Amino acid sequence: MALQLKTEHASDTQDLEPHQKVVKFVVLKKSEPDHAERAELASFEETMLPHLDAAHNLARWLLRNEQDAQDVVQEAYLRAFKSFSGFHGSNGRAWLLTIVRNTSYTLLKKNRAVDLSTTFDEEIHASDHESASPAAILEHAEDAELIRNAMDQLPTEFREIVILRHQQDLSYKEIGEILRIPPGTVMSRLARARGKLKEYFAAQIGKEK
Amino acid sequence: MNCEEAIKLMDGYLDGELDPMTSQRIEEHLRDCHKCEQAYETHTALAHAISRAAPYYKAPTELRQRIQSSLRATAGLRDSRGAARENHTLLTSPRAERRFVLPQTPWNWLALAAAIILAAIIGSSFLPRLRTPASDQFLATQLIASHVRSLMANHLTDVASSDQHTVKPWLDTKLDFAPPVIDLSSEGFPLIGGRLDYLDNRPVAALVYGHRKHFINLFVWPAAPDEAKAPKTITRQGYQLLHWADPDFNYWAVSDVNVNDLQLFKQQFETRTARH
Repeated sequence: MALQLKTEHASDTQDLEPHQKVVKFVVLKKSEPDHAERAELASFEETMLPHLDAAHNLARWLLRNEQDAQDVVQEAYLRAFKSFSGFHGSNGRAWLLTIVRNTSYTLLKKNRAVDLSTTFDEEIHASDHESASPAAILEHAEDAELIRNAMDQLPTEFREIVILRHQQDLSYKEIGEILRIPPGTVMSRLARARGKLKEYFAAQIGKEK
Repeated sequence: MNCEEAIKLMDGYLDGELDPMTSQRIEEHLRDCHKCEQAYETHTALAHAISRAAPYYKAPTELRQRIQSSLRATAGLRDSRGAARENHTLLTSPRAERRFVLPQTPWNWLALAAAIILAAIIGSSFLPRLRTPASDQFLATQLIASHVRSLMANHLTDVASSDQHTVKPWLDTKLDFAPPVIDLSSEGFPLIGGRLDYLDNRPVAALVYGHRKHFINLFVWPAAPDEAKAPKTITRQGYQLLHWADPDFNYWAVSDVNVNDLQLFKQQFETRTARH
């Protein structure tokens, strides 16, 4: 086999001898930048496109509007691609969701649909008397409409943490990375979110009766 | 633990995010305090309701296409210029294409040689991993040791819960795979909890089941493609080991229950995982 390799190679070089310099120039120019870029795009798509559903779901819940959600996700993917060279972590989903979240907030703030300060100051604990019983909740646990209504009423910060936990199945550590808060705060915010949700849920059940 | 503390930590407990010691203290409190137990039940019911019934908005197909073409537009500016240049050289010099291909020929040979060497390396590194009876015996020793240790060192579970929806997410966040977790209470094998373990040179999930006064450790880890699929039993030092595999996972059940009970356990587990 070695012999065959040598002879073939030899015949090629002979064939090319007169124009060799020109050839090298063309090959380098053509393949290097394109190849690198195409490889980066392929690697980006391979890492990030599997999380498209997660990205869309989060944006859809945050914005409560399909068209906005699609625009935000597209924008987030472009932003992610531009800073992809800075991504060295192993958790592509958390990284992408962080960008989706930030992009969503940019739009929400622009539309003045969210006011971070008021939702955080809200007193959650004062409303225990409205709480629904486990039995009542279980009875309505399959009622998607009712659950969606209750979720949509939640302040954005609470809605997003519930989604990250229950639909994306992220750990406190991952949620903390996305929201830039320590795991202890993830726990207390989830507790407050669930408390609030329980309240809305009870109100929804009450309305039905 | 008092109620205030229990309420504060309840969500962490529900999400399987607490350390085993704290989880156990919460569990003790919930057993004694009806009010907190009620609150916990409500939170659990709510959590299940959200996971089950809240809509998950999947991305429409056209969004994927839109994103892909916008990515190409961003990355592809030079792409199209490159194509133009290629056309240009092709037009000015009719031999360009041939020249472009030929200098690569030696590389193809190199690539072939590299592939052969790589295949040889991969092949040889996998050879020792083929299951031989000897390696099974070694694994059996490890499995029994792990089973005994779990009972002896009072470290049966890292996450103690009979609720598969608590055990599973906890394990999923700690491992690089998502083992099936199923409560078999109605079949006589109540789920007691889950634990992380290290076996066969990798982290594995250990699911702990009870059966009358006995414990069953079910070790689960992803199946290698070439792994033997036939179930097998091993009896050693009074322990029964039962092995089976499905396309995704390897299972080893270890216990001191008799072999028929262990077979029954396997059957129930398989029926239920098949249904899920």
